[in-house]
Amino acid sequence: MWITMGPQHPMTHGLWTLRVKVDGEIVTDSEPELGFIHRGVEKICESRDFTQITPYCDRLCYVSANTWAQAYVYAAEDLLEVEVPERAEYIRLIAVEIQRIASHLMWLGAYTPDVGNLTVFLYCWRDREMFVDLLQELGGSRLHYNFPRIGGVKRDLPIGFAQRARAKINIFFDRLREYERMLDESTIFLIRTQDIGCTKAEDLIAHGVSGPNLRAGGVNYDIRQANPYSVYEELDWEPAVESPSIKGGDSYDRYRVRMEEMRQSANMVLEALDKIPGGAETHHAPDDPAILAKAPLRAPEGASSMHRFEDSRGEAAFHIIGGGEQRGKYPYRISIRSPMFITIPYVTKVLIGHKIADIPAIFGSFDPCIGETDR
Amino acid sequence: MDWLDVRGFVEWSTDGVTQATIGQTRFWEYKDVVSTVLTEATMGGVVFGLIMGTVLMIIWIERKLIARLMDRRGAMTSMRSLWAGESGLDAGEWWRKVPYGIGSIIGRVIRLLQRIIGNSSKKPTVDRVNDRSYLGWPILPGMFQNVADGVKLLQKEWMVPKSADRMMFEAAPIIIISSTVVILGLIPLGPGIYGPDLQYGVLFAMAVFGVAPLGIFFAAWASNNKYALIGGIRSAAQLTAYEIPLLLVVLSVCILSGSFNFREIVQDQIDAHTWNIFIMPVGFLLFITTMVAEVERTPFDMPEAEAELVEGWWTEYGGLRWGLLFAVEYLRTYAACILTALFFLGGWQAPFAGLIAATPGIGEQLAFIYGLIPGVAWVLIKAWFVFTIFVWVRAALPRVRTDQILEFGWQWLLPLAVLNVLIAGMMRLFLYEPLTDGWFTWNIIPTMLLGSIPFLILIAYTSEEGEDATRPEPILVTDLSHNALATKAKQLDGADTV
Repeated sequence: MWITMGPQHPMTHGLWTLRVKVDGEIVTDSEPELGFIHRGVEKICESRDFTQITPYCDRLCYVSANTWAQAYVYAAEDLLEVEVPERAEYIRLIAVEIQRIASHLMWLGAYTPDVGNLTVFLYCWRDREMFVDLLQELGGSRLHYNFPRIGGVKRDLPIGFAQRARAKINIFFDRLREYERMLDESTIFLIRTQDIGCTKAEDLIAHGVSGPNLRAGGVNYDIRQANPYSVYEELDWEPAVESPSIKGGDSYDRYRVRMEEMRQSANMVLEALDKIPGGAETHHAPDDPAILAKAPLRAPEGASSMHRFEDSRGEAAFHIIGGGEQRGKYPYRISIRSPMFITIPYVTKVLIGHKIADIPAIFGSFDPCIGETDR
Repeated sequence: MDWLDVRGFVEWSTDGVTQATIGQTRFWEYKDVVSTVLTEATMGGVVFGLIMGTVLMIIWIERKLIARLMDRRGAMTSMRSLWAGESGLDAGEWWRKVPYGIGSIIGRVIRLLQRIIGNSSKKPTVDRVNDRSYLGWPILPGMFQNVADGVKLLQKEWMVPKSADRMMFEAAPIIIISSTVVILGLIPLGPGIYGPDLQYGVLFAMAVFGVAPLGIFFAAWASNNKYALIGGIRSAAQLTAYEIPLLLVVLSVCILSGSFNFREIVQDQIDAHTWNIFIMPVGFLLFITTMVAEVERTPFDMPEAEAELVEGWWTEYGGLRWGLLFAVEYLRTYAACILTALFFLGGWQAPFAGLIAATPGIGEQLAFIYGLIPGVAWVLIKAWFVFTIFVWVRAALPRVRTDQILEFGWQWLLPLAVLNVLIAGMMRLFLYEPLTDGWFTWNIIPTMLLGSIPFLILIAYTSEEGEDATRPEPILVTDLSHNALATKAKQLDGADTV
C-alpha cells in the first residue's frame, strides 16, 4: 500500500511529499517528491548584482538564514578578491554561531513532537527567542537578517551586545542540561531513537551526506576544521563527533551531535567575544574600515570561485562565475550546493525496513529544510 | 452516609410520585417496578449530569497544567489570569461587588497579589490573558473556553467523505459515545449518589469500557482513509497488550474486597481503615498505566499519533462529530480517573479525618465542619488529582511504538498483574479477618510497601543488554577532494560504492 505523506503533513517539516510503500507497519519502499517550493533562486541571481544577491540567499533557508547569506558572501569575496578586516570576521563568526544555535534549537523543537512530546518544542521556542533577539540586534529583523556584506558586515556589535550575549548563553547552558535531563534520561525517548535509522560511515560518504548527520556516523569531517575559512583556527574547539555502534549512527547519535554542537557554538561565541580585536565593547561607525572593506562591483571575465561553508545542516557551497564586461556587474552563473538536497534521497533509502512510526523519528533527526532543498 | 443523600431523596420523592400517579388505579400492583425504574433513571441522570457538568474541570486542569508545565512565561501569564480580570478591571474589583462585603477579603488578597506578582502595566497583561483563557469568569478563567469551542464546532459542516461507508461512518461515533455514557451512569459518586447498583457492576463497566475500541475500528475502516486504517489497526493491536493486565488488576481489587460491586469495594476500604493503594501499590501503578493506554493518551496514543498518522483513526471526522469524539475521549479519561479513585484511593472517604479530629482543643468542632464536606466532593477531588498525574505524564513523555507497547504489555504488565492477583488472593485468604481490625493495617502497609520495592526496582532497571563494547573510533577526513572521499569510502567498504 502506497501512502502519500505530504505535501501537507506533520512529518514533512516543509512542503514536500514522501511516498512510502508499506507492508503492514513496515516500510518496504519510499521515494521523495521535491520541488514544491522551487523559486529559481539561482536564475534570479543572474540578474542581480553581487550585493543584491545576499538577501536572496537569506531566504534559502528560513531557519538558518544568516549562515546561507554568509556562505554566499564568502564565495563572492573569493571571486572579487576582497580582504575582510579581522574584526568583521569575528563578528561574522559570532553571528553565524548564534544562528547555528538557533537553527539547532528549532530542530530539537521540531524533532521532539515527531517522537510525541510537545513540551520540549515549547521550551526550545522560548530559548530560540533569546538568540533571535540577539540576531535582531545585529541585523535589524528577526528572520532574514541580511547581515553580512561583501567586505565586512552591516554594522558593528551594538552597545552592550557582548554582555547580553554572555548572559543569555549562560542561561542557555543551564537549559541545555535541562533538555538532556528530560530526553537522555527518558527511557521512552531512548527506545524511540536508538537503533533506528542506522547510517554507516561508508554509505554517508558515498552519498555525499555532510554536516552533523555525517559526524553522527563517526566521520570527523567539519569544514570549519578541515578547510578553515574565517577565524575558526584561532579559537580553541574540536568538532562534535559521535562514535556510533557497529550498525552506524542512529537517530540518537544525530541528536547527541547537535546537542554537542549547540554547546560548542555557545562556547565559540563566548571565546570570540573575548578575543575580538578592538574589544567587544568598542564601537565603530557602519562604514568604518575596521568592519567594512571596499569591495569592487565587477568580477573579472571568466573568473570563478567556489567556497565550502559549514552550514547548520551540512556542507553548503556556492559556485559563482563572474560575468566580466559583457554581463556588467551581474554574475554569469551561480550554483548552490544544498546539503539537504543530497541528504533527503539518502534518507528515503534509510527508511526501508523500519516501521511507520519510525518515519518521523528518522526523518526528523536528519533536520530537513525544504527551502534550501528546492531553492 | 453523609448529609447529601440524593438517592434517599429521590427514592422518597418517587414513592410520592408513584403514589400520586397510580395510587388509586389497577396498576398499583406494579408500584415497585414503577418506583424502581423512576429512581434508577433519575439517579442515572443525576450521576451522568454530575460527571458531564464537571468534565469541564478536567479539560480546564489539562489546559492550565499543560500551560504551566510546558512554558514558563505562559505559565506565569496563565497563573496571573487567576487574579487579573477584565480589561481595566482586575478580579479584585469583581470580588468587591459581592453583596454585603463578603468578597472584600478575597478581593484585597487578590489586589495584593496583583501588586506583588502582577504586571505593572495592567492592560497588556490582561489583554494577553484575554486572548485565550479569560471569558469573563473571574474564578476559573478559561473554564468555559470549551463551551465556546463546542459552539464553534457546532457550526461546522456535517461532512462525510464521498468514498466512506456512510452507515458505518455515522454509526461508529454512536457506538463509542453510547458505550461511554453507559459507564458514566454506573459509577457511584458518593455514598448517597449512585445510579443502578448492580451486584456485578465492576464486571459490566469493564466490559462496556472495552466496547469503544470496536467502534474505533469501525470508524477507521469506514473512513476509507489509509491513515485512519492504520490508526484503527494499531488500536486493535494495542488492545490485547493492556486490556488483560487491566482486567487482572481490577480482578485483584475485587478479590481483595470480595465483591464486584463498586460501593462494596469502597465500603471495604473504609472498614479496613486503609486504602487499596497502600495494600497494592504495584496494582495501583499497573492500573494507572493500563488506564492511560485504555483511554489512548500519551505515551500510548499510537492510534492517533499525529506525527505520522495526521490524526489517526479520526482523521476524516470533522465538525461536531469530531467535537463529540473529543469530548468522549475526555469523558473516558474522567471515568478512568474516577475508577482509580474508587478502587485505590478510598472513594468517598475523607482523608486525614482522624488527624483533624485529634487537634487539641477544637478537634471535635473541626471534625464536625470537616464532616460536612460531602463524599462526592472527595471522589471528584481524588479523580482530578489522578488526572493531574495523567497530564504530567503527557507533558513529560514521548510516544512509544506499537511493538514496544506490545512488548511492554506482555513482558512486564502481564506478569506483574498476575502476581498482583496472587498477592490479593493470599491476602484475602489469610489476612482478611485481621484487616477489619484497625491495628493490623499498620503492619500490613509497611510490609506491602517494602515487599513491592523489589518489583519497582525490577521495573526501573529493565534489562540492559551488552552496551556496545566495541565502538569504532571516528574516521578523520581532512582532504576535501572528491577522490580522497571516494578512496576513504572504498577503504571502508572494500568495494566501489561511489
